[in-house]
Parts: sequence; C-alpha cells; structure tokens
Amino acid sequence: MSATDAAERSATGPATTPEPATSAGTPRRRRGRVAEDRRAAWLFLLPWFLGLAFITVGPILGSLYLSFTDYSLLTAPEWTGLDNYRRMLGDPRFFTSLRVTFTYVFVSVPLQLAFALLLAIVLNRGVRGLPIYRSIYYLPSLLGSSVAIAILWRRVFGAEGLVNAVLALVGIQGPGWVSHPDWALSSLIVLNVWTFGSPMVIFLAGLRQIPGMYYEAAQVDGASTWQQFRRITLPLLTPIIFFNLVLQLINAFQSFTQAFIVSGGTGGPADSTLFYTLYLYQRGFGAFDMGYASALAWVLLMIVAALTAINFLASKYWVFYGDE
Amino acid sequence: MALVGALALAATACGGGDSGATPAPEDTAAAGNGAGETTSDEQVTLRFSWWGSDARHEDTQEVIDRFEAEHPNIKIEGEYTGWGDYWDRLATTVAGGDAPDIMQHESRYLREYADRGALLDLTTVSDTLDLSELDPLVAESGAVDGAVYGVPTGINAYTLMVDPQAFEEAGLELPDDTSWTWDDFVQLAADLSENTEGYGAQDKGFNETDLQIFARQRGEDMYTEDGQLGFSQQTAADWWQVGLDLLETGGTPDASITTEVQAGGVDQSLLATNRGAMAFFWTNELGALSETSGRELQLLRYPGESEHEQPGMFFKPAMFYAVAADTPHPEEAALFVDFLLNDEQAAEIIMTDRGLPANTRIRDFVLPDLSPAEQQAADFLAEIEDELASPPPVPPVGAGEIVSIVQRINEEVLFGRLTPEEAAERFLSEANAAIG
Repeated sequence: MSATDAAERSATGPATTPEPATSAGTPRRRRGRVAEDRRAAWLFLLPWFLGLAFITVGPILGSLYLSFTDYSLLTAPEWTGLDNYRRMLGDPRFFTSLRVTFTYVFVSVPLQLAFALLLAIVLNRGVRGLPIYRSIYYLPSLLGSSVAIAILWRRVFGAEGLVNAVLALVGIQGPGWVSHPDWALSSLIVLNVWTFGSPMVIFLAGLRQIPGMYYEAAQVDGASTWQQFRRITLPLLTPIIFFNLVLQLINAFQSFTQAFIVSGGTGGPADSTLFYTLYLYQRGFGAFDMGYASALAWVLLMIVAALTAINFLASKYWVFYGDE
Repeated sequence: MALVGALALAATACGGGDSGATPAPEDTAAAGNGAGETTSDEQVTLRFSWWGSDARHEDTQEVIDRFEAEHPNIKIEGEYTGWGDYWDRLATTVAGGDAPDIMQHESRYLREYADRGALLDLTTVSDTLDLSELDPLVAESGAVDGAVYGVPTGINAYTLMVDPQAFEEAGLELPDDTSWTWDDFVQLAADLSENTEGYGAQDKGFNETDLQIFARQRGEDMYTEDGQLGFSQQTAADWWQVGLDLLETGGTPDASITTEVQAGGVDQSLLATNRGAMAFFWTNELGALSETSGRELQLLRYPGESEHEQPGMFFKPAMFYAVAADTPHPEEAALFVDFLLNDEQAAEIIMTDRGLPANTRIRDFVLPDLSPAEQQAADFLAEIEDELASPPPVPPVGAGEIVSIVQRINEEVLFGRLTPEEAAERFLSEANAAIG
C-alpha cells in the first residue's frame, strides 16, 4: 500500500464513516472496512513505532550493551563483562548519589503530594475565581524544572539572597541555603514541593468525581468535617493518590535540571546535591566513562522498576476502587 | 623598545598587501593551489568548532569570512558554544564519527583526544601549516610522543590580579611581588578584609593551576613527563592549609559565599563586582575583568615565587587549534589553521582574545593596537618571561577530570568537613584513579 493510497483513504474515511452507523451494511463489507481501517491505523502509528524502535528501544538496548564495556566515547567499546557493576560497590560517590537521591525522593514526594492534596481540597470548596487560582498554582509546575527558576532559586536562597535579607531584618543570620552542604538539598526539596501544580490538578479532578450525596448522607448522620475527609474523601481518592505517587516518584528519581543549574553541574557544595542522574552525567560526559555511566543508568532503571513494582503490590492493601 | 620595531613591521605588512610582505605560509598555499598537489580547486566544506563568548563568536566569523574571500573554493562552517557545553558536545560528535574538521582545544583535553587517535599529526601537513614562528616557550606544548597534535594559539599565565583602589581605601601599600611569601599574602588578605568593606581575596582553591604553581615553587609539578601526579601529599596538604588560613583569618569570605561566587564565574567574581581586592586569574581575562569592574586592575607575581626552590609560574598555551584525524581534507584544514595562526588578516581581528599570540611575528604585529588592559597583560608576560622555570609537561589523559575533583575537595575543606591532610590524601587517590 502506497502512502498516497492511504492518504486518500484516510481523507475519504471520515466522510463515509457515518454511513455504516445508519445502514449497518453487510457483515462482509464491515469486515473489509475494519481491515482497511486497521491498515490505516497501523500506517498512522508507523512513525510512532519507528520512533519507538530507533529512538527509544534501540538506544536502551545499546546502553545495556555499553554497560558491559569500557567505552570512552572516542574509541570503540571494549567488553569487560560485569566490571562496571562491580566497580560501583567500591565507588563512594555512587553511594553518595544514592543517598542524596533517596533523601530527595522520599522527603519531597510525600510533602509535595500532601501539599497538592491540601490545596486541591481548599480549591474544591467552591472558591470564586477557581480557574485563576488553579492556573496560578499550576504555574510553578511548568517552570519548576526550568533554568530560569533554578537561577532565581540561587538569587532567593543565596547567602546574600532575598530570604536572608528578610531574616536579617529580624536579626537572624541565615546560612547560604543553596551553598551550604547542610542546607543545599533542603532548598532543592522545597523547589520540588513548590511544583505541586500537576498532582494538584489531578487531585482536583478526582475530588470532582466524588458524588456529593455521600457527604450529604454523612452530614445527616452528624459526621464532622474531619470524619468526612477521613471516611469518604480519602478512601475514594486513593486511586488518584496512587497514580500521583507512582508518577511523582519516577519523576523525582529522574530530577536533573534543578541540581545541575543550582550547583553549576557539580552536585556541590561538597556533593550535597549530587543527584544520581547528575553523577551519571558527570561520569559519561565529564569523564568520558560512558560504559560506567550506562551501567549506572541501568541500576537506576532497576531501582525505579523495583520501587514501582513494590508500589503496585502494596496498592492492593490501601487503594480502594469503588467497584470492589 | 621592541614596540618601534613591531610598529615598523606592522606598517610594512599593511603596506605590502596581503601576501607580499608576509613570507612563507601563503606562498606555499598559492604554490600548492597552482601545482594541484596539496590542495585542489575542488569545492570543499570544512567545519570549525570553538568555545567562547559572543564577542569571540563574532570575531571568529569575520576571520572565516576573510579566509573564504581568499580561498573561494573552501567554505568554513562555524560551530560554537560556551566552555561548559563544549566538551560534552565535542566528545559526542567525535564518538559519532562526526568530528569537526578543525577544533579549538585545550591542554587538559588534548592528550585525551590525541592518545585515542582522534587528532591528526600536524607534521603530516607541514608543507601547508607553518609552525616555524612559534614562541619556543610553547612551541612544543602540543607535542605528544614526537607527533604534533595541537598548535598553541597564544600565551597565558595564571597570576594574581589586584584592585589598587581597594588597597588605597584600606590605606595599604601594594606588596613587593618579587619577594613576598605565602605568609605575607595571607596576612595582607586579612588586613585588607579588616580595613575595607569588601574581602581581601577570593578563595583560590577552585583551580588546580594554583596548586600546580604552588607545587612548582617546591620543585615539583602537577604532572610528571610520563603522565603521573608530580606532587607529594605533603605539598597538597600545605596548599589546602593556606586556603584554610585565608578563610580562618578572614582574608577570604565564608565558605557559602565563596561557593556562590565561584558558581557565578568570572563576571560574578569578587574583583568584577568590586567586593574584593585580590584574585587569581589567567592573564587574558584581565581585559574582561577590567571592563566589568570598571577599575584599573593590576597584575602581580604569585606570592612565594622567591620563597622556595624556583618560581612556579609558567606560560600556558591558552588553547590549541587541532585537526580531526579523519577529516577528508587535511590539507585544506591545515591551510585554515595556518591562516588563523600566521596571517595578519586574522590576527588584527583576534588580537589577544586567544592569548597573547604564540606566533612571535604576529605578536609584534598586534602589540601596538592593544587596549591598555591587554597591553598590561602583554607587558607583564614579557616581564616575567626570563624568570620562568621549564614549562610543565602536557597533562595526561583524564586531566579534564582533575578540575572537578579539586573543586569538590576544596569545598569539603572550606566547610570544615576534611582537614588539609585528609583532603590531600583523598585528592591523591581520586586524581590517581582519574588519570590511571
């Protein structure tokens, strides 16, 4: 089938589709049409499949191969078996990056989701001008991982930045929030929590789905606001919470830009913001150590896959789907 | 004074037209064209990649235009980024078999690429590329095992820049830089901090060149000829101790501010923002820093130059021009490098942006037209030239990584997480792993 063929068919397609709905047509005609539609569908999906194969699956498999090699980018990869994976066990910065990343993920994601849920509930109370508030609160999500915000963060939380200027007014001398090793990661966690917009919007949609009659019934029975939240809202919202949790967890593990910009690509000060992805990047492109970087990438994939699997298994015990 | 001679030379060069007064290089090129042996009239497109500021991008493009006007059959496509992205990009394109034909290089990376066969041995194109006028102090700097992989563009030295106005405010005299010691430096920084609103000095521990000079003063070096680390653990510990002394006596800002200033680059440095009196930089940064700071900054010799065995300062090739090993047109690429290096048409645009020109004839040609800051840098280099000990060897493979290791460990020291002794031990082990 040629491309023009398909284009023609697809062009005439919509015009003729209402027809079978009214006249139903004979079974054979319908089958022919289904096959034809299917072909067209495949053809339209083809670019995506090609992209998947060459841009996603190919490189992923390539990196799996490279993870078993010593590859400096400039010379051909050399097979070294499990060496790269063994090397990780003796690499202190690998463990530093794991510690930093896990701290970041497990502190910032729950905080972010709690914050998103809280605001979603407040907004769901029928605030006037809801679309405006929704947009305002969503805005940081769009900007959060951008270079501009990371630079802004440095200005605001720097040793001589806005926050410390305000603190100085009340006589407190604040540390360099982004430049002191004890505080730098916290400032990145705050940055991530601040981008609560997209889970918030999803929570809002979820809250809208809960039928109002449940609350009416509960009110008749004299349930308090907290009891309504605890017994109605939260259980019915668990699928949404679960969805957001899985998504944000994976996102947080892949965080890169914030740390890269705020620390100038070093993961500093003193490795306190050395995210896993940042370390991977440093090995691959800074040290021409692409084999090791590929191995690091695969270990990260395993970690995220394992955590997601645990998440799904655990979900049986706390996620409530209405029809069960 | 040499200036007069340079002026005369410049005058003849300009008066003589393009190829008349300038000898060898263009003549060989022309001969090559005629004979059809080295370069043909065939239409050729080459890619040239460099890092730099916007000003350099514009200037380089103009140099390319002039080259193309002279060689209508050669088209040069420029590819440029800032320093930060440059090496990621270059590594990726070279790995993809898509290396730019001509690339701007740096000594920390030159060996990395040369050892892995990515660069052309320029002695194979010596008919086209004339290297005979290079300053002997850096002429060999691109040589690895008898082959030449990079042509030094110009000369630089890492040294101290001071803001005389800050000294005036503090009521302090500029030090005698021929005799001062590291202790004097620490003391002076503390005095400056005390008597001015700004800081005495910017922390010096973020560039391994500072350690290199410190080690060279003791008769050691950063690397040995055979690509090993060339300094003792004690030297590294002493070096970090100086940094810590500066911090503890208040000569440098606290660790957080230092970290932030460092992340801001040259433009955010204490000197540039008039918040500090002294900082170490490369001489070719004097022009930019003078402009940003709005002050007439002055260059001084390193502290401790006469304290130990020998002076530690050295001339560094600011950067290199290199040619890809797999370029389909080595002769044309060499012709372009020759133009960049030896032609006055290129020089009058580039001036000292890629260091004080390594070609001595071209250096004399640009000298009369330098800005006051550039002039000062040139004079300073001329002044210290006779004092210098032998130039350091080409850094080994992995040297590009040393910078980030030094920075990281320096932060640990400043924040009090490592003692200078622990830092030295950690640095030796990590640096050995990086170049091993």
